[in-house]
Amino acid sequence: MTAILKVNNVKKSYRMGKVLVSALRGVSFEAEEGEFLTIFGPSGSGKSTLLHLIGCLDRPDDGEIFIDGANVLKLNDDKLAELRLNKIGFVFQFFNLLPRLTALKNVELPLTIRGIPEKEALSKAEEILQLVGLEARMNHKPSELSGGEQQRVAIARALINNPKIVLADEPTGNLDTKTGWEIVQLMRKLNEERKQTFIIVTHDPHIAETADRIIHLKDGLVEGIKESPRRG
Amino acid sequence: MRATRILAMAWDNLKQRKLRTSLTTLGVVIGITTIIAIASLGEGFRSEVRQRMEQGFELNVLIVFPGSFTAGLRGGFSEADLEDIGRINDVNATAPLITLPTAELYNETGAKLGAFTVGAVNFTEMKEILPLRFRLLNGTFPQSGESQSIVLGYKASVVNETVVAGAGDNVSLIVKSSSGYVVYNSTFTVKGVLEKGGTSGITNFDYWAFIPIETALEMPFFKGNSEPYQIILVKVSDPQYAENVGKNIENLFPPYSVTVFVPSALMRQVDNILNIVQMFLVAIGSISLLVAGVGIMNIMTVAVMERTREIGILKAIGAKSRTVLGMFLAEAVLVGVIGGFIGIFTGYGLSYGLAQVLSSVMQPQRQETVLQAPETRSLTLNPVFSFEWTVIAIVFAILICIIFGLYPARKAAKLNPVEALRYE
Repeated sequence: MTAILKVNNVKKSYRMGKVLVSALRGVSFEAEEGEFLTIFGPSGSGKSTLLHLIGCLDRPDDGEIFIDGANVLKLNDDKLAELRLNKIGFVFQFFNLLPRLTALKNVELPLTIRGIPEKEALSKAEEILQLVGLEARMNHKPSELSGGEQQRVAIARALINNPKIVLADEPTGNLDTKTGWEIVQLMRKLNEERKQTFIIVTHDPHIAETADRIIHLKDGLVEGIKESPRRG
Repeated sequence: MRATRILAMAWDNLKQRKLRTSLTTLGVVIGITTIIAIASLGEGFRSEVRQRMEQGFELNVLIVFPGSFTAGLRGGFSEADLEDIGRINDVNATAPLITLPTAELYNETGAKLGAFTVGAVNFTEMKEILPLRFRLLNGTFPQSGESQSIVLGYKASVVNETVVAGAGDNVSLIVKSSSGYVVYNSTFTVKGVLEKGGTSGITNFDYWAFIPIETALEMPFFKGNSEPYQIILVKVSDPQYAENVGKNIENLFPPYSVTVFVPSALMRQVDNILNIVQMFLVAIGSISLLVAGVGIMNIMTVAVMERTREIGILKAIGAKSRTVLGMFLAEAVLVGVIGGFIGIFTGYGLSYGLAQVLSSVMQPQRQETVLQAPETRSLTLNPVFSFEWTVIAIVFAILICIIFGLYPARKAAKLNPVEALRYE
C-alpha cells in the first residue's frame, strides 16, 4: 500500500499570552491509503494541532507534510484551500454546520465552492445523505436535528468531494456514548466501503481501539504506534 | 465558486437579517434620494432659467455699441463700419439702429403716448433679425417710401389699459434739445402696433416706437453726420459662432472703440454658475450617501465578528480567501444596488413633489419699475429625468458600498481558519 500522508518531524508552537507553548515537538508518522487511524492522547498532547496541520488549516513551524505526494509547505494559501476542498474532508467535535442552511445545503456547500452546477450538486448531496442514513431529514436545519444526526450531516459533507483523507476531531466528544459509538461504526463502515483514509483524533480509548493503528501522542511527541488487534 | 452562487448566497444572508438589511439599505436609499432629487430639480431649474434667457435674449443676435464702458462712448458707426461687419464670416444680417431718446409722442387729442424711446430702423432688417419681437398685433409695417409712418410698441399704444393711439391714427413727434427748445416737430401715421414682448433681456420694445431710418437720417441733427448709427444688431448663422463673430467685430475697430454684447456668452456664464451651484448641492447631498457607507461598514464589521465561526467553517471545507471576500462584498453590492434603485424612484418622486410645492410657493412678485414693467410669467419648475444622473447615482451607490464594504470583507477573508473555528 502507498502512503497517502507523510508527516516528517513536524514542530509547531504557539503563543499563549507571553508563554511560547510547544504543541508538537517533532512528530513523524505515515498513513496508508484506505487506512483507519486514530490519534490518541490526553488533552494538551497536541492531537488537535496535529490534525489542523494535516488538514492544511495551519502550517508547521518546521518539518514536512506530504499529502498525496504534495509538499504542503510549498503550497500558497489558495493551493492549500484547493487541497482542503478536493483531498480532505473535515468532521468536527461541534459539528460546525452552517445553522441557516438545511442539511442538504450544508452537504452541498463544498460542491458549490467547487463551482458544480446546483442541480448536479443537490442530487449528489442527496446521494451522500442516503449513505449516512439521513435521507428523511435532509430538509431540516441543524437546530432541528439531534447531535448524532448533525454529525452524520457533517460526515456527509466531509465525503461529498470524495476526498482522499477524512479527518475527524473528537467526532464523538459532543455525543452520548451510544450515539458516539454509532458514529464511529458509521465511519468505520464508510472506510471499508469507500477505501478512504480516516484519521480520527480521540481521547477515548474505546474509540481508539476501533482503528487499524493507534498513534499515541503525549506532550507533543509520538509515544508509540500500536497495531490494533482488529487488524489482520 | 461561481459568481451567481456567491450572489445567491449573499441574497440569502441578507434575507435572514431582514430588519438589519432594511435599515442599512435605507441609508443608501436616503443618500440616493437626496442626490437624485437635487440633481433633477437642479436640472429642471437650469432648463427653466435657460429657457427664460433664450426668450429674453436672442442668442444668435449680437449688439454692437460704439465706444466702451471704460473708455467712454464715441459718436456712432458709419455706413462703412456696417458694411465691414456684414462681411464677417457667419454674419447673416446686420441692422443699424438710431435712437431719439428725448423724443415725445402725442396723439391728436394731445395725450402723451407711453413711449420712452423712439428708434429709427429698417423694418425689413429688424423683422429678419428679431422675428419674435417684431410681430404685429395689428396694422402693417410701413412700406418703403412711407416716410411719415410709425410703429408703436404695445405699451406705447396702450396707457393704463386705454388705447391712446392705434393703427390709422396720427401722432405728432416732438424732439426737444437739452435746453428745452423744440428742434423737430412732425406728424406721423401709426401703421401698426407690436405684440406685447413680455419678459425681456436687453430692453423691452413694448415702450418703444419705431420710425423708418431714412426719415431719421433726414432730421436736422442727423443730416450730414457720417457716423449716425448708435447701435448695430448683428445676426449670426448659429449661436455657437456668436462669440467668435463678436471677437472679429472687435478686431475691426481700434481697441476700446467698440463694445459687443454677446448674449450667448452671458448665457454660458449663467449656465456655468448654475452648474457649479448644482454640483455643490449634489456634493452636499452625497454626504448622506457617505454616512450610509459608514453604516454599511459598521454593520458589516459586526457581521464579520458574528459570523467568524461560519467563515472558519467555509475555509476549512475549502473556500479560498477571495471566495469569502466575494461573499461579503456581494452583500454590500446588493445593498448598494437595491438601495440605489429604490433611491432613484423615491428621488424622482420627491423631486416631483418638491417641484409642485416650490412652484406654488415661489411665485415671482410683479415688478413695477419706472422704465419697464415686464410681464411676469409664473415659475414652473419641472424636474428633469436624466439618464446620466440615474446611472451616476447607481454607480455611486455601488461604489460607496464596495469601498466601505471592502475593509470588513477583507477582515473576513484574512481570518485564520483555526482561530475562526475556535471562536465562540
